[in-house]
Amino acid sequence: MAESEQDRDVACLLRIQTGDTRALGELFDRYTPLLYSFVKRILKSGADAEDTLQDVWIQVWRRSTTFDPRRGTVAGWLLTVARSRALDRYRSLSSRRNAETRSETESAPPPAPRDPATAAVAGQTGERVREALAQLDPKQRQAIEIAYFDGLSQSEVAARLAVPLGTVKSWTRQGLMRLRELLPAEEWT
Amino acid sequence: MSLHRDDYIDLCAGYALGSLDEGDRVRLERHLDEGCEACEKALHDFSIGAKLLAGSLPAETVGSALRDRVMIAAGSIRPGAPATTGDGAEPAKVLKLERPRRTFAFPALGWGLAAAFAIAAALFWSKLETARTDLVKLREEQRWAAVMNAPGARLAQLAPTPQAAAASFKGRAFVDPATRRAVLVLDGVTAPAGRDFELWAIRGGAPKALGLVHADASGHAVVRLEDVGDPATLAAFAVSLEPKGGAPTPDAPTGPVVLVGKVEG
Repeated sequence: MAESEQDRDVACLLRIQTGDTRALGELFDRYTPLLYSFVKRILKSGADAEDTLQDVWIQVWRRSTTFDPRRGTVAGWLLTVARSRALDRYRSLSSRRNAETRSETESAPPPAPRDPATAAVAGQTGERVREALAQLDPKQRQAIEIAYFDGLSQSEVAARLAVPLGTVKSWTRQGLMRLRELLPAEEWT
Repeated sequence: MSLHRDDYIDLCAGYALGSLDEGDRVRLERHLDEGCEACEKALHDFSIGAKLLAGSLPAETVGSALRDRVMIAAGSIRPGAPATTGDGAEPAKVLKLERPRRTFAFPALGWGLAAAFAIAAALFWSKLETARTDLVKLREEQRWAAVMNAPGARLAQLAPTPQAAAASFKGRAFVDPATRRAVLVLDGVTAPAGRDFELWAIRGGAPKALGLVHADASGHAVVRLEDVGDPATLAAFAVSLEPKGGAPTPDAPTGPVVLVGKVEG
């Protein structure tokens, strides 16, 4: 992410705090495609993903002051809010057990984007990330994927993989740091 | 200030993915509250990594109505209003009321405490009323959001006519035939000085006034109609530019029609 992108996102949050709905619209347009794919991956349902995203954006509108730039980027914060909301819905739908069963067979890297118009640039970045993921140590990749895309906490990941919690923490850090080495530097600025 | 340790970096990675267990999350946030440049840098990098990971998923197309639902809901809620569901954010502050003592050694102190109690009770009551008001607003929004989510909802895309002064005019309408309620979301409808935009329903080729359109400073407007009339005969919506206060007759626009959209379904 370019620094200007983070600055632009923070400026949007500041405008949202003054009640500027256009700022909310800008942030919505910028991040909804990313958040929707992410939430749908967790919930396996487009309708549930849309309802969840509605809650997410209302939460952003209500609680933009809870964003702390010292704890990561705006995009990262939005993804954390979306993940949390998606898991709340998951639990309320009592479908987590089914989803975990499905995830056993869905941990392979996802297929390429279907819609080329949605962007070449995003598609190229996504392809690079998938290639980088494929180069990770399989244990690191698995720890990251089932935590992030299947919504498991680190202790749940440890139980799933039958390894100590500390090992999962290390694998997660090592995997993310390895990704940083494998991906072009401009993706991380 | 707690000293930085390498195991905090492990926690930062899990924090960026949102997968930390509660105890670890609290431990890391306490450390971050004291300030740690190394952890802040790690969190920045790891949160970019989280975004890249999410971006590796297949692109999905989200329904266009979602944006309208969000903007309509946001338009009726003030930023910073308390959430009604648990979201991991900090809890709302609650006034703590102390039970008053029965006797006082000093009458003045007793009166002082009584006055403080009365003020606290009044504040508490005020907050309760605010919460009730928010709940009423939320229920009202849910009622209107149901129009857009109704199984048999009919839709209309309003597009600018050749008479429109700006191509930025656009709109979307949702009609729930079961309740006869309708919601229209319009953009670009900033009326010139001394003029008003007016909304019309078209039935059998004849217009019927539905009221003036009141937009915000950005030209965005949400029109809620409690009863749009018989949905079976509703053919289209239109918006015209009228003199201040609207057209003099309810069945004939006098100004140019700038937006029109056929009701589908």
